[in-house]
Amino acid sequence: MHTASPVKQDHSGLIVEQSPIDQFLASQQTLQTPVAIFAREHESLLVREQESYQSLIPLTLPEAGRQYAFEVDLDRCTGCKACVAGCHSLNGLEEDETWRDVGVIQGVNPQGAYIQTVTTACHHCADPACLNGCPVLAYDKDPVTGIVRHLDDQCIGCQYCVLKCPYEVPKYNEKLGIVRKCDMCQSRLAEGEAPACVQACPTEAIRITTVDIPDRETVPAFLPASPEPSYTLPTTQYVSKKTIPDNVAAGDLHFPRVEHAHYPLVFMLTLTQAGIGGLLAAAFSSLSQQAEVPTVTSAICLSFLMLGLGCSILHLGRPLGAWRAFLGLKKSWLSREIVAFGIFAPAAILFTAQQWFGVLPDNLNVSLTLLTALLGLTAGFTSVMIYVDTQRHNWRLTITMSEFGMTILNVGMGMLTLSLWLSSSAFDASGAVWLSIAALAFLLNIRRSALRSGTSPDAQRSQLLQGPLRQRNQIRLALGIISIGCLTIGLLWQPWFIIPAIITAILGEGIGRALYFQSVIAPKMPGSFRQ
Amino acid sequence: MKLPETIHGLLRQFDGPLTRDLIQEPGKFDLGKVPARLKPDAIQSSICGYCSTGCSLHAHLREGVAINLTPQKQYPVNTGMACPKGWEALRVLDAPNRAKTPLLRDAHGQLKPVSWDLALRTMCERFRSIQQDKGPDSLAYLSTGQITTEEMALLGAVAKFGMGIRHGDGNTRQCMATAVTAYKQSFGFDAPPYTYRDFEESDVLIFVGANPCIAHPIMWQRVMRNRRNPAIVVIDPRRTETAVAASHHYALKPKSDLVLFYTIAHLLCQQDALDHAFIEAHTEDFSAFRSFVSAYPLERGSQETRLSPEQIQTLTALIGCGRRVSFWWTMGVNQSHEGTRLAQSLINLALMTGNIGKPGTGANSITGQCNAMGSRLFSNTTNLLGGHSFQNPGHRTKISRILNIPESCIPEVDSWAYDQIIDGIQDNKVKGLWVIATNPAHSWINQNRLASIRKQLDFLVVQDMYADTESAQLADLVLPAAGWGEKEGTFINSERRIGVVRKVRRPPGQAMADFDIFKLVAHYWGCADLFQKWELPSDVFNSLKSLTSGQACDISGITDYGFIERSGGIQWPYRNEELDAGTERRLFSDGHFFHPDGKARFIFEEPRPTEESPDPQYPLWLLTGRGTSSQWHTQTRTRHSDVLRKLYPVSCYIEIHPEDAANRNIQAGESVMVQSRRGKIRAQACITPSVPPGSVFLPMHYAEINQLTLDQFDPYSRQPSFKACAVTIAKTFS
Repeated sequence: MHTASPVKQDHSGLIVEQSPIDQFLASQQTLQTPVAIFAREHESLLVREQESYQSLIPLTLPEAGRQYAFEVDLDRCTGCKACVAGCHSLNGLEEDETWRDVGVIQGVNPQGAYIQTVTTACHHCADPACLNGCPVLAYDKDPVTGIVRHLDDQCIGCQYCVLKCPYEVPKYNEKLGIVRKCDMCQSRLAEGEAPACVQACPTEAIRITTVDIPDRETVPAFLPASPEPSYTLPTTQYVSKKTIPDNVAAGDLHFPRVEHAHYPLVFMLTLTQAGIGGLLAAAFSSLSQQAEVPTVTSAICLSFLMLGLGCSILHLGRPLGAWRAFLGLKKSWLSREIVAFGIFAPAAILFTAQQWFGVLPDNLNVSLTLLTALLGLTAGFTSVMIYVDTQRHNWRLTITMSEFGMTILNVGMGMLTLSLWLSSSAFDASGAVWLSIAALAFLLNIRRSALRSGTSPDAQRSQLLQGPLRQRNQIRLALGIISIGCLTIGLLWQPWFIIPAIITAILGEGIGRALYFQSVIAPKMPGSFRQ
Repeated sequence: MKLPETIHGLLRQFDGPLTRDLIQEPGKFDLGKVPARLKPDAIQSSICGYCSTGCSLHAHLREGVAINLTPQKQYPVNTGMACPKGWEALRVLDAPNRAKTPLLRDAHGQLKPVSWDLALRTMCERFRSIQQDKGPDSLAYLSTGQITTEEMALLGAVAKFGMGIRHGDGNTRQCMATAVTAYKQSFGFDAPPYTYRDFEESDVLIFVGANPCIAHPIMWQRVMRNRRNPAIVVIDPRRTETAVAASHHYALKPKSDLVLFYTIAHLLCQQDALDHAFIEAHTEDFSAFRSFVSAYPLERGSQETRLSPEQIQTLTALIGCGRRVSFWWTMGVNQSHEGTRLAQSLINLALMTGNIGKPGTGANSITGQCNAMGSRLFSNTTNLLGGHSFQNPGHRTKISRILNIPESCIPEVDSWAYDQIIDGIQDNKVKGLWVIATNPAHSWINQNRLASIRKQLDFLVVQDMYADTESAQLADLVLPAAGWGEKEGTFINSERRIGVVRKVRRPPGQAMADFDIFKLVAHYWGCADLFQKWELPSDVFNSLKSLTSGQACDISGITDYGFIERSGGIQWPYRNEELDAGTERRLFSDGHFFHPDGKARFIFEEPRPTEESPDPQYPLWLLTGRGTSSQWHTQTRTRHSDVLRKLYPVSCYIEIHPEDAANRNIQAGESVMVQSRRGKIRAQACITPSVPPGSVFLPMHYAEINQLTLDQFDPYSRQPSFKACAVTIAKTFS
């Protein structure tokens, strides 16, 4: 180690003694010659080690109708979490990337406290939600092994699979701009090696088995206190000789967490919905011929729409691959949304151009207007369905429809009122309708965020809105009040107050959309308070 | 979608740079497949630097630098396994807050980078002037179980023989001192008798105050490999992970354990479930013990432990009838106000039933830190190097002769223990303190007291890998140390196995191996000549081998580090191949103990109440312990791995039984106040039936919790009793 020479030559060529500090500092930087331990020395051991894993992995490929699956022996899992760290190192994941997790379920049985740690990773589902939701078909379920594999180079980083999977399996990697996930170490299995987690578990609690591929008629039992298995048909087998009490609950049940806000999506949804609302209003004006549609309002609405669509690109980790988004049309609502907006946008441009230049004859104008309105509604509906299809309780159809619909109605009525005012028509009637819509939206928001006790997703959501998200929720409600106030003033005294009413309405809806993402209770495998 | 293949290939990319980022290739060296990006050109084994299990890890090297790490498959301790801390051992070396230069507190009270020369001159000048003014008691050092044996020995020799520092102790006082004292008194030498194979060969495993599932997961692996369908008994007030995994859990009242084991001893006598031949041939004082425990009938045991008579009888039957019974304990026993007698009550049970020296038996203390066992034998603190005694003239002569150090340099008195050094600071006796690789500002019991007396120290030196530990922040001088993986030497694990740690990384900046720092301190102090022949750690190791000859821990038969590595680690004693063959050896198979008469002692004493127990004002027991397997002690290292950080709660939490929470209207997740007579802290409420009603649990890894603990000590081992004081909890601060 201390090989540094004790003497050195100074600048004048004289030999001077090196200080002990210099010597030691130099020796710190010297590494030992690595003692390479060559494979030959361990050939016999290699055979033995491979053998020791043989009982933990299948020796043959699954027959038709069957697939590989994780099997977790709960009685052997003690929560040491070596599987998490082993998976991380043996797969060479990014510093903060983990594909496995360990949680806890707890309850009380006649013998006393029941506490069980649970290791979990991808369940390689029979009907994978990630795969069904992916707009670019970046998931592949191997027809032989059943392993659900993510195609990293196909991924555009839209993260819809993150929202779709009820088990928090796909993990978004900010640096790479894609999602990655557990592939059951398929390349290891292919050569008779055990997956990383199987190798790393000191108590042999994890193994790979072959199971019948479940279908909706034969949904197999799954871990209690976990998301309903009928959604994706997970294949992981949790086995235990102990009786799991009925009252068992996830260790993190009482600790709802604030989810990611997805700001590009917040802007995209708010602006496109504002645009749709405004364009619908313009279409209505145009069709009803109650007033000249001021070109300026339809131009504003078109720019909302285009800006919103621009924001959606910011959400993608790898937008250059987005041209493939039509691939998932068959199953993915995200594909459908992208296609719907892709058709709606040119229609909206034509419609707005028509408002400006008026080149089309009347009959074509009516057709274009109707078509634009219809495409706008369709596009808005696909946005709704993206979230409804995640099966998250707080994003169910009625809620999402009313959230998104209120934005469309609110801004739409605002724009209609503005148009009427700008074209010097009477706007009292539309203003009154708008006022009641805005008031209704406000009351709905108050009702939904009122604190409720309990552990239902709606109650937990209200706890988030009254807890960590309280300030933001209050700002949203305040903006609602200001908007209603401005509108009232606009109707009764000063018409130009319609403008701040519209601005505050859009801001309020924007914050509402952020809360829509942040306060959702995402289904997940049982976590641990101790995390 | 059925499309011609070319179009299909264009539409769906199954391969590309991102896919190849995770591609695996055979890693050679028996590693199986490894990420191609991280394929090593060589591997080097090294013993893990966290706990005392002593797992061997394979550093994957490229040009000598470790780029990845996997547990070593062919090592008798861990057979290819590691806990998350081990897997992440390299990651924490890259932390940005590593100490990279010496830091000296300037006139404005700021720690500022200085040269090594200035740092060492200042340290030696300040220490020397304190020593000259205040005498030999005025300097002390607090060492650790986290550095190599060679470093401990060099530190102990430089400080005591070279610098004349009379008082030195280690953080091992907080974890192992009780086991040391108990073994010394009972067996005649500090000699944990077991080998890990005993986990696999036992029929009844009794874990007392131990949670190996979390604290020693790789030892638990051995329990799970037991094919004898054993009874696994956990004696712990909490329903720990280990209690859940066990076949029997006895949730006794906190601090009633000594009564329980005396009761069981009495019942075993009553039922004559004794190994008379063994007792007669190999023990002393059994009849006195027998009559002592006759005062512990079943009714008393049941009443005081709050276990039912049936539970105690079942437990007695398991011990009395089991063919191979082994007793295992950790901090629940060691960190007790009567820990020494408690450990000995387990030793007594093993002795009276003849459960010692045979496969699957033993009274077995599981150690804490990676090199606590090295510290016990070679730190030159409580013992003179090599398990000798400072007070024994013959021992002093022997050490002086072998090390070629004047006998006059060797102190004739024992050091003060850790708590006595702290008292010495309070009493203005100790004015200069040198802290090495430990974090007393976080870990020492009744923390506020230590904080309040810091200003009474004239000069505090903290030597650590990280510049931001709670203790480094208080220092006058911080010395930047290399960490595990950046230096070489040996550790000794729980089962007495010596293993080698190797240098596989370069330390950052000007950080230096502790070994070299001690050499430099000796140089600046002017005593380097005494240690001239100790140029490298291996030179120290050679001296230590000679020192042990004739001792219970004789390792004179080991040739060098390479021999240790080739042997898969070597348990002490190792005199030569004939006497000490085999990779897994236990002590006392011949029934011969280390007292001069060769017999073990029955040692016992009336239980005493703790200085503090729950009362109306502070109605709850505060239990403390390890939180998760991904946290280590004061978290100076483990908090620097993203993966480990994901696996534990960021801030302090308190476990409360549902009844206690309901009585106080405390909701899960809310922040509550926890108060003892010494301090108050905030913690997030975790409502769980794993703690018994009337007790709460705080994990030791959060800095604030030792504001609450009570500084009381076992009188024999001077180990702090971290696991018993009285607290109250409420929703808000009063």
